[in-house]
Amino acid sequence: MEQIGFLPPKPAVLSRRREIVGDLKDLLPEGCLVHEPRSLVPFETDAFVSYRRAPLAVALPETTAQVAAVLKYCHRYGIPVVPRGAGTSLSGGAIPQEDAVVLGLSKMTRILEVDYANRTATVQAGVTNLSISDAVSADGYFYAPDPSSQLACTIGGNIAMNSGGAHCLKYGVTTNNLLGVKMVLVDGTVIELGGKALDAPGLDLLGLVCGSEGQLGVVTEATVRLIAKPEGARPVLFGFDSSEEAGACVADIIGAGIIPVAIEFMDKPAIEICEAFAQAGYPMDVEALLIVEVEGSEAEMDGMLQSIVEIAGRHGVKVVKESQSATQAALIWRGRKSAFGATGRIADYICMDGTVPLSQLSNVLRGTAEIVARHGLRVANVFHAGDGNMHPLILFNANDPEDAARAEAAGNDILKLCVDAGGCLTGEHGVGIEKRELMRHQYTDADLAQQMAVRAAFDPQWILNPSKVFPLEGRPAV
Amino acid sequence: MTIIHDPLSEEAASRIVRAAVAAATPLEIRGGGTRTLWSGSTNRDILSSAALSGIVAYNPAEMTMTAKAGTPLGDISAALAERRQMLAFEPLDLRPALGTSGIPTIGGVFATNASGPRRYVAGAARDSLLGVRFVNGSGEIVKAGGRVMKNVTGLDLTKLLAGSRGALAFLTEVTFRLLPVPETSATIVVSGLNDAEAAAAMATAMSMSVEVSGAAHLPESVCGRFAGGRLPAGAATVLRLEGLAGSVSVRSEKLQAAMARFGAVSSLDVEATVQLWREIRDVHPYADGTARPLWRVSVAPTAGHQLVAALRLEAGIDAYYDWQGGLVWLRMEADPEADLLRRYVKALGGGHATLMRASAEAMAATPVLQPQAEAVAALSARIKDKFDPAGVFVGAFAGA
Amino acid sequence: MQTNFTPEQLADPHVATSEKILRKCVHCGFCTATCPTYVTLGNELDSPRGRIYLIKDMLENGRPADEEVVTHIDRCLSCLACVTTCPSGVDYMHLVDHARMHIENTYRRPFKDRVTRNLLAAVLPYPRRFRLALRAAALGRPFAGLFRRVKGLAPFAAMLDLAPRQVPKSSGSRPGTHPSVGTRRGRVAILSGCAQPVLKPQINEATIRLLTRLGIEVVAPAAEVCCGALVHHMGREEQALESARRNVDVWLREIDNGGLDAIIVTASGCGTTIKDYGFMLRLDPIYAEKAARVSALAKDVTEYLATLDLPEQEPKRLTVAYHSACSMQHGQKITTLPKTLLKNAGFTVRDPAEGHLCCGSAGTYNILQPEISATLKARKVKNLEATTPDVIATGNIGCITQIATGTTVPILHTVELLDWAYGGEKPAMLVS
Ligand SMILES: Cc1cc2nc3c(=O)[nH]c(=O)nc-3n(C[C@H](O)[C@H](O)[C@H](O)COP(=O)(O)OP(=O)(O)OC[C@H]3O[C@@H](n4cnc5c(N)ncnc54)[C@H](O)[C@@H]3O)c2cc1C
Ligand code: SF4
Ligand code: SF4
Repeated sequence: MEQIGFLPPKPAVLSRRREIVGDLKDLLPEGCLVHEPRSLVPFETDAFVSYRRAPLAVALPETTAQVAAVLKYCHRYGIPVVPRGAGTSLSGGAIPQEDAVVLGLSKMTRILEVDYANRTATVQAGVTNLSISDAVSADGYFYAPDPSSQLACTIGGNIAMNSGGAHCLKYGVTTNNLLGVKMVLVDGTVIELGGKALDAPGLDLLGLVCGSEGQLGVVTEATVRLIAKPEGARPVLFGFDSSEEAGACVADIIGAGIIPVAIEFMDKPAIEICEAFAQAGYPMDVEALLIVEVEGSEAEMDGMLQSIVEIAGRHGVKVVKESQSATQAALIWRGRKSAFGATGRIADYICMDGTVPLSQLSNVLRGTAEIVARHGLRVANVFHAGDGNMHPLILFNANDPEDAARAEAAGNDILKLCVDAGGCLTGEHGVGIEKRELMRHQYTDADLAQQMAVRAAFDPQWILNPSKVFPLEGRPAV
Repeated sequence: MTIIHDPLSEEAASRIVRAAVAAATPLEIRGGGTRTLWSGSTNRDILSSAALSGIVAYNPAEMTMTAKAGTPLGDISAALAERRQMLAFEPLDLRPALGTSGIPTIGGVFATNASGPRRYVAGAARDSLLGVRFVNGSGEIVKAGGRVMKNVTGLDLTKLLAGSRGALAFLTEVTFRLLPVPETSATIVVSGLNDAEAAAAMATAMSMSVEVSGAAHLPESVCGRFAGGRLPAGAATVLRLEGLAGSVSVRSEKLQAAMARFGAVSSLDVEATVQLWREIRDVHPYADGTARPLWRVSVAPTAGHQLVAALRLEAGIDAYYDWQGGLVWLRMEADPEADLLRRYVKALGGGHATLMRASAEAMAATPVLQPQAEAVAALSARIKDKFDPAGVFVGAFAGA
Repeated sequence: MQTNFTPEQLADPHVATSEKILRKCVHCGFCTATCPTYVTLGNELDSPRGRIYLIKDMLENGRPADEEVVTHIDRCLSCLACVTTCPSGVDYMHLVDHARMHIENTYRRPFKDRVTRNLLAAVLPYPRRFRLALRAAALGRPFAGLFRRVKGLAPFAAMLDLAPRQVPKSSGSRPGTHPSVGTRRGRVAILSGCAQPVLKPQINEATIRLLTRLGIEVVAPAAEVCCGALVHHMGREEQALESARRNVDVWLREIDNGGLDAIIVTASGCGTTIKDYGFMLRLDPIYAEKAARVSALAKDVTEYLATLDLPEQEPKRLTVAYHSACSMQHGQKITTLPKTLLKNAGFTVRDPAEGHLCCGSAGTYNILQPEISATLKARKVKNLEATTPDVIATGNIGCITQIATGTTVPILHTVELLDWAYGGEKPAMLVS
């Protein structure tokens, strides 16, 4: 059951498959090209698993020079290229197409430099998000953006999707923590943007590249900001009798000028799923839960918590539970970060990613429940509440095509609701293929035309990840 | 004859742009006119945002504001002050240093991506900018971004417009995020350090979990000009702490203890702190009424003092540091020495130098903005072309 | 994720089980990050998610295995790190077991490969043959370098490298009953094992000494055979099930003749398999229930020791780097117990970085996949040595042999240290 289309494969590329494979083999070391049809199947999708297209070949280069060689070659022959990190995209950003070469960064996993005096780390694009923090943790530092998928997702993918995470409320998302990249343009030119010096006076190409979903070039190295770890951090659980109250409480916390490190929201279905997986001691007799993390010295944490507890009291908070130990704190976060995966224990799901103004949180939660009920489905909500980034997980049965179609339709309705409430289609998962056609709901033709024009400044032939982001109709002629 | 257009609406701006394209008349985009971004010929008309003024929406609970581009920064600051909120990036006011007048506008602030001391921890103007509306060089009215915190949907044109210095489009409206004004602030002063020692002290301070929100080094030559002379004698390495009163005092103690091994430690109260950091932000010591060349140099923090040390051997300079040493304000005694300066910047790991002030002849003779790598410059030019195919906007950006 | 099986395909109970497993996978990719082969090779085909997908495609299409699939499944260490990581509870272990069975049934391996595998399957599970082979290996060692250079013979070189220079004299844990010292607090059977008594008889000797000293009667039943893990991981299901049935019979007899509180296993690799007998024999109407009973009784020696409330001992000023075998931490989910026991016994215990990654031993893996195995070994040794330990402790014979060939730091079984701490002799390896 596929409702979202892909660009039709180019016959001229498909018919040259054998030659292309042969040529790519010459450009890459042994073991760096996957081309047997059956071996290509596992690359046909990412974490947006409802859609699948096996690629023509998968190149797994080991160096920037090899990335450049592959791009130069594909550019010359008009072969689409789909960059891929760890393939954890939830919007189908890394799903290939039949005539595409997947350019996977999974062999480029070296941490090139850690510079504490300047608080930067320079890494290859295939390095996972968590391994940056792991590498500097013993010395008291971390890399702040922490997508729940941080164990697996790569920094290249994070840059492409401008990924966020629970702790981004205080520290900002990828774009706010990225200092520089080395990237390969579509024709194979290698450029460097930014670096350890801030705010270059030219156009902010670094800012443009971040969040560009693999459409402007392939990032091979990144320099990111490291942050000194806080003295202490403590997650506290606040249980409420209704999602609306919890949502309103979030708006009031922020409205009072209090910015904790993280405010995460879970509704009852999500709590049950996460508790079953992590046994973190989430309260089970509440309808909604906020995980609020505060950090700093004991005195600072106590101070901030006191204000939050007061606000929560005004919203009839039922349970306030501080984590009792580092182990429990870790479990609380493990449960939260595993929420999507753990949902897989009970059903298939698609994960939405709309953002809304905080004042609309309660309304949109209610609206989401109505939409899902109308489509005869179930939903679990677990998301970054502090910045209004909602993640309704629509539960369905992937082996039932009608159910799958209903889930997709419900998802579209929810995202439209977010936009209508003054928000956006995506907070951190990107547009990918999933929200491509919904872009028209958020943008006018002129808005989209301007974005597409900029895209064309980088890739006039539209060969970089071409089936993504922009509605298929109404693209400029190539 | 230069005509100044000040449209009252986006639609009017669009008509002006279309007419200018048709007549092949270049347009210089102007906010408050506090900075001359364009140093080319005078054969152009001016498209001013002055009449596009006013706060469109202020939502303190969500910490966001939408304002028309020509809204005076002063109006915005006043509205924010009422709710104890602020722009996190501390927009600079360079009028005294540049010897210009005019009224800074919020559009101009974002168009120059001008950011003060907190930049180093809280991000630049571009990091606070959530969404924009603009008229491009074809006269089309376009929006990008949104009004929620996380809003990169499609390409992040918002970032591109921030700092685009009027070269891509005419900003008509901006939406940005705000932060609460910290309850209090304090400054820890370490006295008598040379530049290299100061770099080490600042690196140490930044590595601690005390959340330093400003780290600057004021060598002896400039130190007396700050904070009404309230800094102790000798060079001052200054570290700012902000937040709840209780928290600031706890962190202050910790920081003072750690800094003691570098030199004599003292502290400034909130009032002196506010004044000091405003002066650091606005380049107060070089607001000297002269046209001696003034550079704004951005390098890796540990490279700042090395750059200054190297230059000292070859030219008459004076300098102080912000951003943990990564932002160097350099005043040359005579010649701008652009080549020399940029050569050292490159040798020290890269960065960029912008000539902010000089005599008219020197400005004309010097590449004011840092030249860029060829491929990057070419790419920037292609992007400019996509916003402004007719080349109607004359604003300059590096490399173009 | 979505699956595509016909009702006819699902009539096969193996396929039905695999389908259920596949349905749970949401393709999130978390498991890739902790998979030793993905971390080493950087190709999704060598990751759990890639293998799951290859298996799914093969099973859905009812295809015989082909070289591509076999290559990537063969590279799987069965370390089960992916199972620990998977938030969705995907039972990769039984999926890959099924795939290996399918490969064994539908794919003809190249000649050299067949010879190696047949040899391993015919020798390793049988202590007497194994001992002989090791003696021969000692003679063959000079040829290892030669083998390594000939493609296809690398496994033989690896075998020679791994064979100890000296084959220890025979085991002290002969079949029979070892009565408790003092009042009897309990009665257990101990798995004698196949390779372990040949390579390191000290392990079971220490276990028996320690347990009997603690008042436990230990029986080593005669007629017990290899647990079947080695052949099971080669996909030789019938051979594995036959071993399982024989052992089930042996232990049930012991249960009937005096009762058993536990079946003690001192090699976590074997423990994982014995704990899985219930599943392996689930389709066998005669053995299903009996096997489940046996599985429920199987305990790693540390699990059993933890029930005995050992007293805290004086600090020993000896730093132990604890290496958690994959079969221990991922297979049996025993993570902190052994470390707690060691700490209580007075040792300073350190966790190496990347503790979740396999050392590359993995049963016969170091013989069949020598290159990946060597990379993993080097990585493991580096992480272990970074903790500057006096001794390395672990709970699996495979890891002991593997790691010992990469470091000069002595390596012991956890139980050898515990035996010493609770009244036994200092292990010979630590007497300098
Ligand atoms: C369970 C789960 C939880 C998640 N939680 C979060 C979360 O909390 N926050 C969040 O933001 N996201 C989350 N995600 C989404 C996803 O992990 C992120 O989008 C991540 O950044 C993708 O990284 P990746 O390496 O997997 O990239 P991929 O999925 O491989 O690719 C993503 C996109 O990036 C492009 N790309 C990849 N590498 C490069 C490169 N080097 N150069 C150019 N383009 C490139 C691809 O073409 C594609 O468009 C979650 C996903 C899952 C499965
Ligand atoms: S068992 Fe180990 S080697 Fe095999 S797929 Fe899982 S993690 Fe990888
Ligand atoms: S972690 Fe689990 S659900 Fe996710 S891809 Fe791996 S096996 Fe599938």
